[in-house]
Amino acid sequence: MSHPAETWWIALPEAFIVINLVMVAFAYTTWLERKALGRMQLRYGPNRAGPFGLLQPIADLIKLVRKEAFAPASVVEIPYIAAPVVSCATALLAFSVIPFGPGWKVSHYYINGSVVNVPISLILIFALGSIGIYGFIVGGWSSDSKYSLLGSMRTCAQLVSYEVSLALSVLGVVMMGRSLNLANIVDKQQTTVWFFLPQFVGLCVFMLGGIAETSRPPFDLPEADTELVAGYHTEYSGMRWGLFQTAEYINMIVLSGLMVTLFFDGWHFPWVHSLDKLGPLWFVLKLAILVNIFIWLRASQPRLRYDQLMRFGWKVLLPVATVNAVVTAALVVWV
Amino acid sequence: MAANVLVWCIWVIAAFACLASAVAVVSFRNPFFSALALIGNLASLAVLYLLLGGEFVAAAQVLVYGGAVMVMFLFVIAYLGDRTEEAPWAGGPSWQAVGTVLAAGAILVEVIVAIGLTTGGELTHEHHIARSFGSPEHIGRLFLTDHLLAFEVTSIVLLVAAVGGVVLGHHARANEADARA
Repeated sequence: MSHPAETWWIALPEAFIVINLVMVAFAYTTWLERKALGRMQLRYGPNRAGPFGLLQPIADLIKLVRKEAFAPASVVEIPYIAAPVVSCATALLAFSVIPFGPGWKVSHYYINGSVVNVPISLILIFALGSIGIYGFIVGGWSSDSKYSLLGSMRTCAQLVSYEVSLALSVLGVVMMGRSLNLANIVDKQQTTVWFFLPQFVGLCVFMLGGIAETSRPPFDLPEADTELVAGYHTEYSGMRWGLFQTAEYINMIVLSGLMVTLFFDGWHFPWVHSLDKLGPLWFVLKLAILVNIFIWLRASQPRLRYDQLMRFGWKVLLPVATVNAVVTAALVVWV
Repeated sequence: MAANVLVWCIWVIAAFACLASAVAVVSFRNPFFSALALIGNLASLAVLYLLLGGEFVAAAQVLVYGGAVMVMFLFVIAYLGDRTEEAPWAGGPSWQAVGTVLAAGAILVEVIVAIGLTTGGELTHEHHIARSFGSPEHIGRLFLTDHLLAFEVTSIVLLVAAVGGVVLGHHARANEADARA
């Protein structure tokens, strides 16, 4: 499918609006998580700032920005400051290729359904993710603290291990969609079937690998607070710490968005095609369901032990993902 | 026209970033900073690939070299390397270093002049490149047809390297056990 090109003075405001909406989504994901965790643990969660605590993220932001950015005397300055910026920037950049709508024609101008639409968008997301890891490693190293260093080592080992399974798990979708472009994959699902049915194994591997990639419980070994204080961001405070948090939550949102796109037909409404014009709405609803599953898992599952985590990644997830890719390849070629 | 100026600007920035980070890799005292500079070097190379229309190669460069390989480098350096107190740029350049840079610069100029003379102005012509150039399909087809042997042999080389790593590690551990006994 070829679309007319989007002019730059539409693309720039679109990128600006989307990036801010993602930030708002991040802010209210933290609210949702605290509220849901509170309810699941038989307490109220935030309920002081505004009705239902709805202004809590805003209060948090003001507090973090105004807080002194305290740093130990022995940190290595430049990488210490750059690390959270790198993590946050790559996380935000990754969202730019996720399609959230069909694209609209307003008089004779065209508005794209994603911030950018490149032919290799899926690889781009993985490439940005692999750069984002450096923020965590460099931040932990430059903090000059044992807990930070151990946390960043764990992050490094965990993310590298699970990235392999994650990349292999989407191969099946790529082969069925015959494209590395996310918009094409969505279109393909529209003409065939939502890929979570034929690629259910791939979805399971992607989900588990994704939780590990975003260091969410039950795979939150990098910041296991009973063992490592807080992992790689132990020595960070103020909005620098806030940027690391932002990166983590936005990674989760990007991952959920990717899951919606790859397995649940992106922004399409099931069966009723006349509702496709409201693409972003359906996209956000599907995204919200997946984010809720992430939160639910955090509330209900205990943390794995480190050897269990590694064994699970290499001896269970990786073989399953490989077999899934091989079987899909055979089916795509011969059926 | 405006697009050409933009491409030219990006090329200048990427090319200089590439050179500067390459010099930084060999001149930093602290291996951690050298590794970071190498990441910068690989990333700016990826930008140059992008300008040449090789989107897939650029992304693969960042994903494989910039991401997976360099993470291992950093992992080892951060875990085992000692933290030198001095700033990475401590200690002024020695005469040998200055001489090396000058010689390298002279060779670079010579290479550029040689290429310019032999091509004889052909480089300024814009050749028509097919739309599929550098696309994943195109590269995949080449890998599995024309270059199949080279592709497979490379994977065997990597396998040999992995086996070698395991053997070396096993020897080291066995020696350690002997020493303790």
